[in-house]
Amino acid sequence: MEGNKMKCSRIRKMISPYVDEELSTDDRRAFTAHIEECAACRKELEDVRSVHELFVSAENYTAPLGFATRVMANLEQNEQPAYSRLWRLVTGKPLFLRTAEVAFAVVVMLIGVISGNLLVSDRTPVRQPTIQESFSLDLFQATPPNSIGGVYVKLMGATDEK
Amino acid sequence: MKARNDPDLIERLKRSDRKAFEQLVHEYQDRVYNLCRYMLKDAEEAQDAAQDVFIKAYRKLVALEPDASFLYAWLYRIAVNTCLDYNKRSYPKPLEDETFVENVASPDPSPEHLYQSKETGGLIHAALAKLPQKLRAAIVLKEIEALSYEEIAETLDTSIGTVKSRISRAREELRRYLRKDF
Repeated sequence: MEGNKMKCSRIRKMISPYVDEELSTDDRRAFTAHIEECAACRKELEDVRSVHELFVSAENYTAPLGFATRVMANLEQNEQPAYSRLWRLVTGKPLFLRTAEVAFAVVVMLIGVISGNLLVSDRTPVRQPTIQESFSLDLFQATPPNSIGGVYVKLMGATDEK
Repeated sequence: MKARNDPDLIERLKRSDRKAFEQLVHEYQDRVYNLCRYMLKDAEEAQDAAQDVFIKAYRKLVALEPDASFLYAWLYRIAVNTCLDYNKRSYPKPLEDETFVENVASPDPSPEHLYQSKETGGLIHAALAKLPQKLRAAIVLKEIEALSYEEIAETLDTSIGTVKSRISRAREELRRYLRKDF
C-alpha cells in the first residue's frame, strides 16, 4: 500500500502535463498503466480534464476594426528621430530628458560662477562692515518688542539698553 | 505562425522598415489582442494594451536579436509584460463584456448567476480574474494561445519546470473556484 501511495503522489504531478500531452513516452506509459489501476488518480485526472475542457469553448477574439491603422498612426505621433532613438539605446534615457538634465546642470553652474564672480569683485552692493565695527555692540540691534525674544526679555525683566 | 520567420523580414524589421512592421502587426494583431483580452478585465483595456504592445515592439525593433526567428515569443513576451503592468496599476474593476451582459457583473458572480449562465465565456473570465498574475499568464498561454511548455518558457523567460508548476497550480486554483459553484 505504501508503495502505491508514493506512486500516486508522483502520478499526481504528471496529470497536468499528461493532459497537455507534454509527457515523455516512458512517463506516459507509466502514467496510463497506473491510471488503469487507480480509481483515486483517475478521479483527479477527470477533474483536471474538466478544467482543461472549460477552455475548449473559449472565444477566439479578433482585433477590432482599424486596429493596425491606429497602431501605424500612433507610430507617427510617438516617433522620435533616429539619433534620439540611438541615444536612448545607448544610455537608456530619452534624449529630451538628457538634454533637460544637462541644461539644468549648466544653469546651476552658471549661477554659481556668476555669483562667485560678484562676491570676489567690488561690485557687490552689500556694505562690508569693518573689523572694528563688527566687534562693537552697536551692530547688534535691539530686540524688537513684539517678537518672541522681546517678550522673553520683558518677562525676565532684563533690558537690552546699554 | 510558429514557423521560423523569414530572415529577410527580420532584417527589415531591425531597420525599422515600416512596411515590414505593418506586416507584423497584421500577422499578429488577433493573437496579441486575444491574449490581452484574457489577461485583462475588458475589451477596452485589451484594446489599449494591445496598441501599447505594438508601439513598444516598434521601439524595440532596433534591438531585435539577429537570430530572433521566433517573433511570436518576442511579441508575446512584450504582450504579457504589458498586461502585467496594466494589472498592477488598475484597481479591480467589475468584469464587463459586450456579449455577456448580465451574467458577469462582478469578479465575484454569485453561484446562481453562474449556474444559470449558459455562457462559459463569462465563467472563464471570472475564473481567470481570480488567479494570481503569473499563474494566469501561464494558463492563458497554454489554454488560449495553445503554446507548448517550451514555447511558454521562452515567452516568460523561465524554465519548463516553472511553467509546468504554474500551469498545474493554476488548474488547481481554477478547480477550487469552480467547485464552489457546482
